[in-house]
Amino acid sequence: MANNTTSDFVTLVSSDGFEFVISRSAACVSGTIRRMLDPASKFSEALTGRCNLETLSGVVLEKVCEYFLYNEKHKDQTNVPDMDVPPELCLELLMAADYLDT
Amino acid sequence: MDNEIPLPPPRRLRHRSSSRAGPSPAPSVAPSFHKSRRLSRFDDRSSQPSSDPALFSSDDIPASGLENYNAPVAGGPGRKRRYRGTWWGEQAVDPKRKRADFKEKRHVDSGVWMGSDESLAESSLPSEDGPAWGEDLLKSVLDPQGQGRFPLESSTLRAPTPVQAQSRPIPVFIKDGESEEHRIAKAIVNNCLEKGEDSIDLGNLNLKSIGPGLLAPLQHLTKLPSVTEPPTSENAYTSLQPFLRIFLPNNNLTNLGSELFELKDLKVLSVRSNKLTMLPANIRNLTSLQVLNIAVNELTSLPWELLGLLQGELKHFSIYPNPFPSIEETIVAVWRHGSSQEGEPSIDEVLKFNEYEGEPPSDAWTAIRVATGSVNRLDMDGRPVQPSSSHSANHAPSLRELSLRTLVKMPGLDQITEEELLDFPPLAVPLIAMAQKWHADGGWHCSVCHKEYVNPRSQWTEWWDCTPHENGMKRPRTSGEKLRPLPFSRFGCSWACVPDS
Repeated sequence: MANNTTSDFVTLVSSDGFEFVISRSAACVSGTIRRMLDPASKFSEALTGRCNLETLSGVVLEKVCEYFLYNEKHKDQTNVPDMDVPPELCLELLMAADYLDT
Repeated sequence: MDNEIPLPPPRRLRHRSSSRAGPSPAPSVAPSFHKSRRLSRFDDRSSQPSSDPALFSSDDIPASGLENYNAPVAGGPGRKRRYRGTWWGEQAVDPKRKRADFKEKRHVDSGVWMGSDESLAESSLPSEDGPAWGEDLLKSVLDPQGQGRFPLESSTLRAPTPVQAQSRPIPVFIKDGESEEHRIAKAIVNNCLEKGEDSIDLGNLNLKSIGPGLLAPLQHLTKLPSVTEPPTSENAYTSLQPFLRIFLPNNNLTNLGSELFELKDLKVLSVRSNKLTMLPANIRNLTSLQVLNIAVNELTSLPWELLGLLQGELKHFSIYPNPFPSIEETIVAVWRHGSSQEGEPSIDEVLKFNEYEGEPPSDAWTAIRVATGSVNRLDMDGRPVQPSSSHSANHAPSLRELSLRTLVKMPGLDQITEEELLDFPPLAVPLIAMAQKWHADGGWHCSVCHKEYVNPRSQWTEWWDCTPHENGMKRPRTSGEKLRPLPFSRFGCSWACVPDS
């Protein structure tokens, strides 16, 4: 498992068991995930490259991953279009954003 | 044949009951009429022309209404035949006709459907489910509570979708606790509206806020002509375009609400001697404002959007006294004015307008940017942060910002009561409060990229000198005049939206 720490991809697991494999750089937009995966921290997440996000449901985590990629894509652009956030999810996404520090 | 009625049979006959008592000329006439109708060349149904056929005097038309106009009728010789009703259902006046006919006429479809007419509703609605629709409508009108309450469950975090929000009956707020000042203010506004007075004086009323619905009707103010006697010259006529003036001096206003800034025709606004600590950015909507008095308030900075008004119509701008910080005491990042000189200019040199002779140059009339303050970068909660290398300038909004932008656009947000707020998760409460404030201010826009934002990420102060507009008539700066820059605060929506260096 030790070689996973240098892998370019990490796995995010939702509370209901959905797994999302996403590039490390995109996931590190979130301060919480960045600290989880920091190799210096010796957290089990950092060693295995697998983050269990118990507070997020699969639906929300999917949207969060979509945001990670959206942020990655538009990082250096000016005049960024707004990502579409469904109104019924926006309060849950606010909680997720607070938890993930993003 | 002369007795016959020339025009098509009256339609109302169809609705008459056959058991009608009393003789009437109409039923007896009808069959013979049909006979002659078949003979008439006017009714060749196989090839009906779009217009009336030509009429010749030589034509043998026994039933021409025009020629028989004065012809005697059965009722008696010498009497004119009188007609009643429309041309298509014309009917000779029956002398024995009684007003009792009126009741029978009511069975005829008038084409007007009223909510109380149930039987008519069924027959007049075209579609199959028409009656059901009408009943549903009636039910919902009578019993709005039956439609269900606003679905806000405490157990789930799910926000109401727009569809659900729309199905909620809009409650009518009746404020019994409306304060005395508001009632007086409303009476003054109503009086002005009625008299067509375009100068609204709400001064010295001890108003603490501008209540909802107070100023919005002024959008529709119509000025009345003020000429009392015939004028001697044309100059005596005045414009009926309202020159809208609102005076709110000597009140206790701490904010101005959003209604005031929807009056796009407002020409004069005075909020002298109030307790305002900031002006909202949507003051930019008042594009026809000519006079603005914000003296004697607690303002420490002005919205940057106000500069747009200074370039437009605004001529009289009374600013002092207000507790603005002095430029000498603040940290200035970049000097924009007077930097052409060699070396580091002293502050007195910077704050001196160019010396000129003769005609004042064009920049003597306009606002001048003197300096730009340092940029405060804010984190996602609006707290200032030290810019670190890991946080590069990123135009992409944060996930929190994206969700907030969706949240503030949700309908029904203003109608969440304090009790309902208790059911929300504690984290969401300040966010909803912020969204409500966002609505009250009419939305916030990034001053660099003009996008809507909810949480500002950068803030800085620009120092502009507006001396030509200050205090009374607009005039040019004199040669070598000392500048008195004012702080205008600007907000950016991301850390990349910062002043150009």
